[in-house]
Amino acid sequence: MSGFGGVLPWARRTLVERDKILTSEEFSAILGICQIVPGPNIVNLAVCIGSRFGGARGAVASVLGLTLGPISIVLLLAVLYEHYSYLDSVKGVLRGISAVGVGLIASTGFKMLKDELRYPAMFIVVIVTILAASYFHLGLGWVVLISSPLALVLAWKKAHSE
Amino acid sequence: MSILISLFLKLSAFSLIAFGGVNALLPVLFNLAVTQEHWIDVQTFSDYFAIAQAAPGPNFMTVTLLGWHVYGVIGALIATLAIAWPSSILIFYLQRLIMGIEDPLKKKSIQYAAAALAIGLVLSSAWQIALQINQSMAAYALTIGTIAIVFFTRWHPLYLIAIGALLGVLGFI
Repeated sequence: MSGFGGVLPWARRTLVERDKILTSEEFSAILGICQIVPGPNIVNLAVCIGSRFGGARGAVASVLGLTLGPISIVLLLAVLYEHYSYLDSVKGVLRGISAVGVGLIASTGFKMLKDELRYPAMFIVVIVTILAASYFHLGLGWVVLISSPLALVLAWKKAHSE
Repeated sequence: MSILISLFLKLSAFSLIAFGGVNALLPVLFNLAVTQEHWIDVQTFSDYFAIAQAAPGPNFMTVTLLGWHVYGVIGALIATLAIAWPSSILIFYLQRLIMGIEDPLKKKSIQYAAAALAIGLVLSSAWQIALQINQSMAAYALTIGTIAIVFFTRWHPLYLIAIGALLGVLGFI
């Protein structure tokens, strides 16, 4: 619920620092896996952590616990939007926020890109993926099919080069 | 009813290719909802995107709002369930498998490969979505400014969203 600007930092603080349910290394390892697998990252994280403590039931419980509150809030906002979206000030606010939102998403990408500077050959994967998705407008399934073999080969080399 | 089934099936399929999370999926969602199915128009899509960014919680809320627009509260729940269940089941079984890989090189390779794929998808997503929802040079300037601030400061994203809202209400964007 208090996940303004992303739930991850908050999840880490609660689970690792406050409740000491997981060590910092365990948290990072789980997070690493959740970012490998497709799908909503935070739901993946909830599944991993929930299932460690309560199997499938724990996974379902932690996903519900994490999502139901925010879903209620966002639906409340949606109702407000229906009533007030005709106002110029509301339109302006949303235009401003969406421009910032795109910037935030791009920054996540650029920050991760910075980590690849250690092994610049990985940039090829990034460029191929961007070209396939944005220039050739291939479907996401095709993009993943084309890029992943290349990604695996280069990642294998990168892992060996360290 | 058929629209609910179509929503559920299409979003479920997207779940398994959403490397980089739902943010990487935004252009595909846009294509589906605006271009193909005409569920919503460009303006509503970008407004929903903004609401999802400003609301607390996970960043898949654009999907929830899309479902809400299509079929009310039931639509919202179906859409959220659809985007989450296939990948949840996948990770439920995969986590032990990946944790169990003994060879650290293999483990690292998988991790690096997925990261590179995610970077490409997230960056192209940001680029394509910017083209759809930024309607003025001022909006692009704000997007670029956001990237710069995130890179050179440690400001909380919420401040940036507040600045965006303020600039918007003053009529600059």
